[in-house]
Amino acid sequence: MNTPIRRLALVLLVIFGVIVLDLTYLQVVAGPRYRDDIRNPRLAASRSSTERGPIVTREGVVVAESTADPNSAQEFVRNYPEGDLYAHAVGYTSLLFGNTAIEREYSQSLSSDSDLTISGIIDELLGREQGAEGLRLTLSQAVQLVAQSGLAGQTGAVVALEPTTGEVLALYSSPSFDPNALLGSSPVGGDALTADPAEPLRDRTTAQILAPGSAFKVITAAAALESGLANPDTLYADPLELTLPGSTAVIRNADRATCGDGVEVALATAFRRSCNTVFGQIGMDVGAEVLGETAAAFGFNGEVPFDLPVTPSVFPAASLLNDPPATAQSAIGQRDVQATPLQMAMVAAAVANQGVVMRPYMVSETFDRDLNILNQTAAVELRRAVSPGTASVLSDLMTDVVENGTGGAARVPGATVAGKTGTAEVPGSAPHAWFIGFGTLDGRAIAVSVVVENGGTAGDLASGGTVAAPIAAQIMAAWLLAG
Amino acid sequence: MSRNAEAALLAGAAVLAALGIAIVTAATGDRPDAQTALTFVVVALAFGSLHLGLRQSAPNASPYLLPLAALITVVGLVEIYRLDPRLASLQRWWLLIAAGVGVGALMVLGRGGTEWLLRYRYLFLTSAIVVFMLPLLPSSWPLGGLEVNGSRLWLQLRVFDTEVVQFQPGEIAKLLLVVFLASYLASRQGALTTLTRRLGPFTLPEPRQLFPLAAAWGVSLIILVYQRDLGASLLLLGLFAAMLYAATGRGIYPAVGGGLFLVGAIVAGQAFDHVQRRFDAWLRPWDDFADSGFQVAQSLFALGSGSLTGSGLGLGRPDFIPSATTDFVFAAVAEETGLAGSLAIVAAYGLLVAVGFGIALRARDPYRKLLAAGLTSVIALQTILIIGGVIRLLPLTGIALPFMSYGGSALVANLIAIVVLARISHEVAS
Repeated sequence: MNTPIRRLALVLLVIFGVIVLDLTYLQVVAGPRYRDDIRNPRLAASRSSTERGPIVTREGVVVAESTADPNSAQEFVRNYPEGDLYAHAVGYTSLLFGNTAIEREYSQSLSSDSDLTISGIIDELLGREQGAEGLRLTLSQAVQLVAQSGLAGQTGAVVALEPTTGEVLALYSSPSFDPNALLGSSPVGGDALTADPAEPLRDRTTAQILAPGSAFKVITAAAALESGLANPDTLYADPLELTLPGSTAVIRNADRATCGDGVEVALATAFRRSCNTVFGQIGMDVGAEVLGETAAAFGFNGEVPFDLPVTPSVFPAASLLNDPPATAQSAIGQRDVQATPLQMAMVAAAVANQGVVMRPYMVSETFDRDLNILNQTAAVELRRAVSPGTASVLSDLMTDVVENGTGGAARVPGATVAGKTGTAEVPGSAPHAWFIGFGTLDGRAIAVSVVVENGGTAGDLASGGTVAAPIAAQIMAAWLLAG
Repeated sequence: MSRNAEAALLAGAAVLAALGIAIVTAATGDRPDAQTALTFVVVALAFGSLHLGLRQSAPNASPYLLPLAALITVVGLVEIYRLDPRLASLQRWWLLIAAGVGVGALMVLGRGGTEWLLRYRYLFLTSAIVVFMLPLLPSSWPLGGLEVNGSRLWLQLRVFDTEVVQFQPGEIAKLLLVVFLASYLASRQGALTTLTRRLGPFTLPEPRQLFPLAAAWGVSLIILVYQRDLGASLLLLGLFAAMLYAATGRGIYPAVGGGLFLVGAIVAGQAFDHVQRRFDAWLRPWDDFADSGFQVAQSLFALGSGSLTGSGLGLGRPDFIPSATTDFVFAAVAEETGLAGSLAIVAAYGLLVAVGFGIALRARDPYRKLLAAGLTSVIALQTILIIGGVIRLLPLTGIALPFMSYGGSALVANLIAIVVLARISHEVAS
């Protein structure tokens, strides 16, 4: 019976041979495909397992940290202790959903991967710790918390800036999400966020442009003042409706009444009462070209250098030439004029900063493991938007809005507050409520931009003055009264 | 002389175990602790006593069996330690117990020889069937069955409702069955080889001679149905087919057995969700990645991540592999030691199987030939079934990888098989 035993042995050993071939194929030939498969949990582990530096607020509150992986001595897991408060500013680092926001833009300094520069190699040889730098943000936990509670239950965004430096004090987009839900090897949490019709992952502060409505009148006024065509006392006709030349369309005021006595009204009064009839006329007087130049001087129609990618705000000057009706509608922030909340905050900040636009920034310094400061961000002037004189006049006009006009709800006890409301009409829906402005108190200053989309909880009754201005007041108070 | 070489190789295995534990400890950043020395002592003690048992009861036995088994056991022990040190310390106890049982078996065989087993042929058959059925005992009894992951393979001993020990009786029953089949087939060899009946194109032996084949098919299907264990039933059927073929040289037995099993498996696949899912996971693991395909996919990720040289012991992530200490221990080793390590392990199994069949070929009487071929086939088939499942060559069957998977019953049974093989080789050489 040796022949069958030999054959049996041969069959079994041939199967071992097949196993050898299959193993070779799986581990070497097809190996890289399995190794790099997006579903291989090792990828997530290796990305999250390297230590990344901590991220703290200006007060030192930790908003992102790497902690030791309880399952593996040498590995780390990323953790966002403040949950949804800094989701759009700080972002997340996730295998399945990538890196976003600060975690993406500062990934190289945050991660501990050694670099291949000469000094990096020397550090490596000397056993010096590399990378994993920490970041200190300009964001203030106190201001951020007020922004969150102000927007609670509503869709919208808040951006607050220190006007003289460009430091971002608050950057909050609502609804927000918990970045911790996107970590790990399971896509379930992230898929749910992606599919959420409320779009919590969308960054409404920098990545979304909306009609600014009357908040844009700051720029229209700036154009008129800067070009010398008008001063606050310049009188304009005060019709019930502004008829647009060569068009059947008319522009009315929000209350469908005249702005003043129905005869003549001063620019300052029209600004305080946010009269569309007058600013439509001013827009046509100034012309699309000058309006476009002024908007561009504040940052429209161009890249905004920032720590996060910013969608450019739009003032379509070229398409408005020789189209006075469209120019009139654009001058009051309607039609195709669209801006990010960050851009509108920069407009307010420039007025507060004597006409100079500062480069906004969110990371103030990087530090090493021993908390030695490695790099500090310097304040950078981007450009002059308007002359100091024009800025001063605009500032007075905006102060009047808060003290005597539509922006009364933005008042902060003890502080000087200037601002402009906006109620941007949205076809088929409730209007977007805007407030942009700034407050100063004892040498502290804060510029703010608040937008509540589609009226928020107030719905069709919403206006910038009733919905956005109160949120702005709380935000400014949180910064000014804390000092 | 060869016994001394065996002793040296076994000492090498103990050193390898200590080195492996030390490397794992270093890789996880801990200081070397008592585990290294303890593992060295346990491996040396277990295989040393088996070695001494061989010197005593089978001095002319093949010197290759024990070192190969020791090598595979040690690699498994290190990987289990790397995954779960607590399980590794339990496995060390099992290794000592298995060695003790092995030495005991050697002493019995040393007194009576393997022909002594012939005397209790039918006792072995009945006890094999009884032992196979033990897990079907009600779970509430102190000695009762236990269902794990949908398969009822376990026997659990409880005292005052506290679990004392769990055991897979099937592991032992396999050996009993091999002994029975070897002696039964050795005596019925002629009758089964003479094909007298014609049935259409087939020539068949006398119907009553076909009884064992029918019984084999019946038992494996009963196990499939009642214990829901695809692996054990495949293994049993393969064993019957291999031994019938070895005894008769008639290809009709494996062919008919395999055909019957396929029919049974297809029917079972339709009838039982559990079996159906296994087939789905095998054929289309990526379609249902999150559910039925998950295990096999994780295994493939581990293999691919291991690549040529592996991540290094203690530096991979075999903790992502489900059941990494039992069914998938091979994938864990392949991840951390790469193709280099996984091929070395397959080579070790291949050598062990070759040595086993070599013993069968050199044996002079049908009984010893069949016993050696049967024991070797059990080890070879288990290895093929589980490694094949892990690398998606076959559907995944939850079966222990001999010597390597965590589990006491399998270790005891496989070391007994090695001891019996060693004794046969001694009797052949004497």
